Amino acid sequence: MHVTVDGIGVEVEEGATVLEAARLAGKSVPTLCFDERQAPFGACRVCLVGVAGLDKPIPSCTTLCREGMDLDTADPAARRVAVAVVELVLSELPLAPAAHTELAVLARELGVSGRAPRWQGEVREVSHDERHPYLALRHELCISCGRCVRACDEIQGAFALTATGRGFHAGIAAGFDQGFQESSCVSCGACADTCPTEAIGERGLLALLT
Amino acid sequence: MSRNLVELAAQGRERRAPTALEVLKEAVQRRGELTDEDRRRAAVQSGLPEATVYGISTFYDDLVRPRGRRHVRVCTGTACFAATGGAHVGELESALGVGLGERTADGSCSLAESVCLGMCHSSPAFRDGDVVDAGAGALARTTAGETRRAAEPDWRSVLSEPVLTRPGDWSALEHALDTLTPEELLARVRSANVRGRGGAGFPAGEKWGFTRAASGEQKLIVANGDEGDPGSYIDKYLLERSPDLVLEGMALAGYAVGASQGFILVRSEYPDARAILERAIDGACRAGRLGRDIRGSGFDFDVTVVEGAGSYVVGEETALLACIEGLRGTVSARPPFPAVRGLYGMPTVVNNVETLANVPYVARHGAEAYRDLSPGATPGTKLVCFNERFRAPGVWEVRFGTPVRELCEELAGGMADGGELRALQIGGPLGGILPASLLDTPFDFDELAAHGCMVGHGGILAFDERTDMRALAHHLLRFGAEESCGKCFPCRIGLRRAEEMFAAQEPVDRARLEELLETLELGSLCAHGGGMPAPIRSLLAHFPHELGLA
Repeated sequence: MHVTVDGIGVEVEEGATVLEAARLAGKSVPTLCFDERQAPFGACRVCLVGVAGLDKPIPSCTTLCREGMDLDTADPAARRVAVAVVELVLSELPLAPAAHTELAVLARELGVSGRAPRWQGEVREVSHDERHPYLALRHELCISCGRCVRACDEIQGAFALTATGRGFHAGIAAGFDQGFQESSCVSCGACADTCPTEAIGERGLLALLT
Repeated sequence: MSRNLVELAAQGRERRAPTALEVLKEAVQRRGELTDEDRRRAAVQSGLPEATVYGISTFYDDLVRPRGRRHVRVCTGTACFAATGGAHVGELESALGVGLGERTADGSCSLAESVCLGMCHSSPAFRDGDVVDAGAGALARTTAGETRRAAEPDWRSVLSEPVLTRPGDWSALEHALDTLTPEELLARVRSANVRGRGGAGFPAGEKWGFTRAASGEQKLIVANGDEGDPGSYIDKYLLERSPDLVLEGMALAGYAVGASQGFILVRSEYPDARAILERAIDGACRAGRLGRDIRGSGFDFDVTVVEGAGSYVVGEETALLACIEGLRGTVSARPPFPAVRGLYGMPTVVNNVETLANVPYVARHGAEAYRDLSPGATPGTKLVCFNERFRAPGVWEVRFGTPVRELCEELAGGMADGGELRALQIGGPLGGILPASLLDTPFDFDELAAHGCMVGHGGILAFDERTDMRALAHHLLRFGAEESCGKCFPCRIGLRRAEEMFAAQEPVDRARLEELLETLELGSLCAHGGGMPAPIRSLLAHFPHELGLA
């Protein structure tokens, strides 16, 4: 199947996503809830791109390529949404994510970091779970991207993590929210590995960093 | 939704295990709140992981709000807001001495909000146990513990022979089984262009065609009775007064696409609807209209009723399927579409109950007769309902293309108490707001869309001179933020920020608000976040001086 990304033609397999086509064309599309080891989730809406003939940008991670699609990764509306979403995400955290985290790097790439915060509303509650010998969970840094929950489900098959709550108060928990040790966690670290904010981190590494 | 969890839910269904949600609902009804022991039992019985069950137990309104021996719910829907400006909520809190979402220390009484109780013809509405009271004196009766069932609304049609406001008689299913092949029935529904009545307006025949063509041994029909729109009580009365019509439509859908099992999800906010449906299903089975080898045709069809647990977004089709599976009612990105990979991973038709109620007429009388019901407009008829601000509120079956003015003035009798109509919200909380100056707009998809409004599900809410438009914006955004499923970032965070802008007493920065609205419109995963900006855009366009903008 032939698609065009920013004027560059690429051949993709049936079932390929728009994000895969863009990357094949050597174009970078920002993502946040996406992890190529996991099924696409479509939550963060940072990966929007423009499509010729459509009046609205589309999420590239969950949209399948169609023959002849003409994609624009620099679509102005898509870029505005990506910037606005990252700014909103930063506004829900009571503290900035560490500079080396995926969220902080993305914020710098999109020119959002360093800006005066424009949203002064409710932020996530500070709550730490450090009962596990290796894994620490800092709820205030969670952005509900679902990557840890999917890693535990799709990669490890331990099902120790879940999304919790609803709306702005959506978060994550291990087991019955009594900590990793009281859950079916097998201490594989796949959740910490994929977390884009270090809301879940490995305790030894976190101690070295702080 | 996680394929692994859906697979576990499907395995639970095969061994006839209760869903995790059913176990949790039963526990909270019995004891007033959930313990980890209840969650552990739900995990063991349903076969879901413990963490997954914990996630479910924190999602639904019915599971997270503590219940006292007496559990009172107050409607915070938009019709009740139009009636009192929201004052009835604070008055009840003071009178009962318990705040929203709280339980008294001695456990005697608890209070929760409900959006909405579907009593919009007689606001404000209150529910004590399973008794719903509404209108004049209801607040005092609720305070005194003397609630009585509110009067039911009228249920009428402009047609001499109603298509929708009639009890189903199963003659269309008999006719289809005797004279039509499934392909012919599908062609008839396609040709009639039956548009979805739940809000999106997608052609039902197309959905059926996708499901029929999908590969899979077993296919399913799901009727969406999760009428969550504040201000709408159409499906409530369709289910309570014409359950056989909806069931007959489901059976016809099953015949056309090759499905032998149907599910119907009914809101827990409508305590009567489930029992009425279950009685109707029993009756239909005994009469040989449902069940095995119906009328000797070789066609089997059974229907299972599932009760919701308090979540607006569960009305979205992927969230609806997750709720029936007993999982968290969050939205999933499409593809895969339910027609290909739906309930329990099987090809599934998801139609609103009113959409399905149209099908018997199409099957019996054909596409042309159906199109002729609304000449020159969208085929068929639509149920609409009016709020308490009208003189004669009730449910009406109307023709598409009828001027909105005619609906409001001739059918609903104009404004009550000499009120002045200022604006209407049509089609639910995601519908734009039509100012009184545009009342001559025809009631139809394209004509309303031209003014940023929609047919939606057909609720028609009037606001009169007593409505504070800034407070209305806040009311709608609060609803939007509270009901966001929390999956996509624009809706999860953006609706809270928009709500906060109107909650503060400060002027609202219009440019910043519009930036948020664009992010919601373009970025949201489903119609909830994508549609909540519509009424706010209308208020900005028609009532900018009343919003306290900067």
